[in-house]
Amino acid sequence: MYVGVDVGGTFTDAVLLSNGVIRATAKMPTKADLLESILEALDVVLKDVNIRELKRIVFSTTVITNLIAGQKHDKVALLLIPGPGLSHKHYDFKAEVCVLSGAIDYRGREIVPLNEKEIEEALSGLAAKGFKKVGVVGKFSPRNSAHEKRVAAIIKEKYPDWQAELGFRAGPQLNFPRRAVTTCLTCATRGPYRIFVNSVRQALAKREITAEVFILKADGGTLPLGNSVEQPVETIFSGPAASTLGVQALTPPDVTEVAVDIGGTTTDIALILNGQPLLSAKGARVDEQLTQVRALAVKSVPVGGDSVLELSGNEIVFRPERLGPAYCMGGPAPTPTDALRVLGLTALGDEDKAREAMEDLGAPLGMSAGEAAGKVMSLVVNSITEEVKKMFLEWEQEPAYRIWELLQKKKVRPSIVAGVGGGADGFISQIASELGCQPVIPPYAPVANAIGAAVARPTLQVSLRADTEQGYYNIREEGFQGKIDRQSFNERKALELARERLLGKAAGYGLDVALDDIEVTYQEVFNMIRGWDTAGRLYDLTVQTPRGIAGRIEIGGK
Amino acid sequence: MRESIGKQTGLIFFPAFDWAISPTHPEREERLLYTRDQIFEEGIMDLPQISEYAPVLATAHDIARTHFCVPRVEDQTTEAHLIAAGAAILLADEIASGRLKNGFALVRPPGHHSMRVVRGNRGFCNINNEAIMVDYLRRHHGIKRVAIVDTDVHHGDGTQDIFWHDPDVLFISFHQDGRTLYPGTGFTNEAGGPKAYARTINIPLPPGTTDESLMYVVDNLILPVLNDFKPEFIVNSAGQDNHYTDPLGSMKITAQGYARLTEKLRPDLAVLEGGYAIETALPYVNMGIILALAGLDYTYVREPDLRPFKESPDLASDVRWTVDKLMRQWEKRDLVVPNPEHVKGNYYQQVKSIYYDTDGINENQLEKLRLCGNCPGYLTIDTKATHGYGRTGGRALCVSIPFTACSSCRAEAEDLYEQSKKIKEYQHVYLQDKPSDIFLSYDSASGQERRSEG
Ligand SMILES: [Zn+2]
Ligand SMILES: [Zn+2]
Repeated sequence: MYVGVDVGGTFTDAVLLSNGVIRATAKMPTKADLLESILEALDVVLKDVNIRELKRIVFSTTVITNLIAGQKHDKVALLLIPGPGLSHKHYDFKAEVCVLSGAIDYRGREIVPLNEKEIEEALSGLAAKGFKKVGVVGKFSPRNSAHEKRVAAIIKEKYPDWQAELGFRAGPQLNFPRRAVTTCLTCATRGPYRIFVNSVRQALAKREITAEVFILKADGGTLPLGNSVEQPVETIFSGPAASTLGVQALTPPDVTEVAVDIGGTTTDIALILNGQPLLSAKGARVDEQLTQVRALAVKSVPVGGDSVLELSGNEIVFRPERLGPAYCMGGPAPTPTDALRVLGLTALGDEDKAREAMEDLGAPLGMSAGEAAGKVMSLVVNSITEEVKKMFLEWEQEPAYRIWELLQKKKVRPSIVAGVGGGADGFISQIASELGCQPVIPPYAPVANAIGAAVARPTLQVSLRADTEQGYYNIREEGFQGKIDRQSFNERKALELARERLLGKAAGYGLDVALDDIEVTYQEVFNMIRGWDTAGRLYDLTVQTPRGIAGRIEIGGK
Repeated sequence: MRESIGKQTGLIFFPAFDWAISPTHPEREERLLYTRDQIFEEGIMDLPQISEYAPVLATAHDIARTHFCVPRVEDQTTEAHLIAAGAAILLADEIASGRLKNGFALVRPPGHHSMRVVRGNRGFCNINNEAIMVDYLRRHHGIKRVAIVDTDVHHGDGTQDIFWHDPDVLFISFHQDGRTLYPGTGFTNEAGGPKAYARTINIPLPPGTTDESLMYVVDNLILPVLNDFKPEFIVNSAGQDNHYTDPLGSMKITAQGYARLTEKLRPDLAVLEGGYAIETALPYVNMGIILALAGLDYTYVREPDLRPFKESPDLASDVRWTVDKLMRQWEKRDLVVPNPEHVKGNYYQQVKSIYYDTDGINENQLEKLRLCGNCPGYLTIDTKATHGYGRTGGRALCVSIPFTACSSCRAEAEDLYEQSKKIKEYQHVYLQDKPSDIFLSYDSASGQERRSEG
């Protein structure tokens, strides 16, 4: 048996899953005390269950997202080692920034040394301003982390109570500005995230639950709860990932579909291409800044069932805020829900009030209540379908760097529009017909997010870079470095090495992974040239345990 | 110049990591590896001033508009070539439509040694990306006047050949003196055909030229000429082998020099050409060019081993002398009469011999231009080739009608094409009808004609 819990800003949802069948669901308002909300939801779904049969619990949460959005965290300073390149004035990291001397190049060679006196001065300056949390981020630090580590060692010596996060661990991919943002967020959220993890642990201990516990990541993978404190930012924005995986579990396998989650004032759209949720090409965006966090490509459209409708000249338009519920449910202003009621597409609320709202809205334009409702309907549907079309187009236009990648990119179009979320019922068939798709509102749609958490498969990854000229390899995620034989090392050995490290890592996390299931997500081999000669080879590869869902939900029973 | 406020710089980065001429050839897959590392690490693609595009493939039709590929386009191009040309076209399309401020196609393989007739690979090039893009712009955006500034260390002999007779395309190439470097051409007296005199400007520079003399050339020759010519679109064939670390060239230009050059030229579109110092030059030079195009501060871009270069007073005065000479040539551009040695009746003709170094092919051409009072005149090329290893490439007749041809030239060219199909010595006969965008190729062995229409 598996349990999925989605701790959202408004509701905490939970489901209990057994052999692909939903056994129980819960929906509770999220309270200020997270522990209490989690316990209440767990109590509902675990009623009459032998806790020993519980195999796994997966949490998804937006608490970290809310923390960042609300700026409710300690101030973080960034110590940057950018070296030459882009002018530093183009950096805008929304944090206190000190630029240090020093530079590493793309091959990991030191081209400018650190200046220790300058580092000490920068640190005492920060101390004077009251900073205790710092991110140390160097350009090309994933290729050589010596500078970052040296700065960290100085901090540890002079200010042992400070929290220092290093860029090569927080942001191991090539992208210095995103590495800086990711490191800064890691620094800000590690403490509060630990508190969240502790509440979860306490909640489980109180109920004597000993099942494996995982946390959902923004890319739809999961991390064991204990290890997730290493990379707290990976858990931001796992909400959209949860509902997307939920849709995946509730609809047929291998289809290309659009998951539409229509809420009160926003609609989240995700794409599932041939059964796989699409990843965002650029990483999650937090507070307008790009990070190195892999995330599903989810777009938000500022329209939902409770959006306020009004006239602007001779046009009906939305306002992106919520003034209250729909007019037909006692709210102050006309909303798309009123339009649905007039059109007979929902049974919610009072029909006469809905008609009154649409009449008032349409009267200045000479429209009847029915005409105004029709107009509103097409406005909502258009704004969503336009965004869906744009997402497919953007996916097609994503950069490719190899000929085979470019050539294999076939045009795909969805066959299903799956609706989840409170406002879905009335709009989905129109959206689907506009896109030439079949509409599906899966059963359990209101708790699709918790289902997504419950079915999410545990994932881990390992990135290896081996340099035969220098005679060593390193594992990016662990900062581990080992020797290789310059002569006999080859691509097969590089892969074996990476797989071995991944299996070892998985075992450490208590995960059972078969060698054959490991996916190679990135693989590059380059000759290194000195003058005209090949001086060595560079192997770059990433392997991961498979992402996705552990099983589908049987739908027949509803 | 286009309105550019608030618009982005478009980038296509296509390193073609899975394509090489051969495993040990300088034009190989890892050429842009460290450039990729530098651009990605700097986060260039995330800047609000930059928009990254995925390339598309150019069509055989796009290529036939510019080249005569013998026997067919398909025989001379791989997907990598179509992608490089397609990338240039895509960005040009966006710029000409006003959606982008300017652009940079960071693509390989390069193209500026590819001439009008293509029988194989020359100087690492099969098809001329910039020329194909320029002809596309003229066809699809009605752009008439174009300037191409070739800043590769090698003479852009392919681009020169293609636009030699075209009065509406200004071709300027500076490069290391042809007496000291491949392809051994690009002297000041190579100035264009009788109808386009001085619209080809070659600026041979002595080995060891630094940023200082290069800026002198830009300020005192290139910019004034561009100012007179008033192009609607400026292309930069952005070779990077003038860099002081390049293994092929012997010049002393720095990344800062390239960035300043870009800033002064203000090209609408830059297209990568050569540059083989894949570690020591390309990552920095490409950064400099991108930042300069996007109007961003490039002064922090610096090679790790950068040191000040001094050039001799002799070198500087040598460059000044060349600039003066070319400026005088430019001023006399409309006063020159065709050399009578080359005039046969109504035609201007010249014999050319072309060597394809990569493929070991010798080609001999007889080029004939109709001297017409109403238009630039149609062009024919009678070409014959021998492979180094004895196999003949076959004789072919290529007829090209320019975009602005008059009706009498068009009729005569069409007639010539039909008559030549009956001549047994020609294995292939081609008609490139640019005004109607129809390209015909006739294969005498099979008696079949292929027709390409847009
Ligand atoms: Zn070159
Ligand atoms: Zn004519």
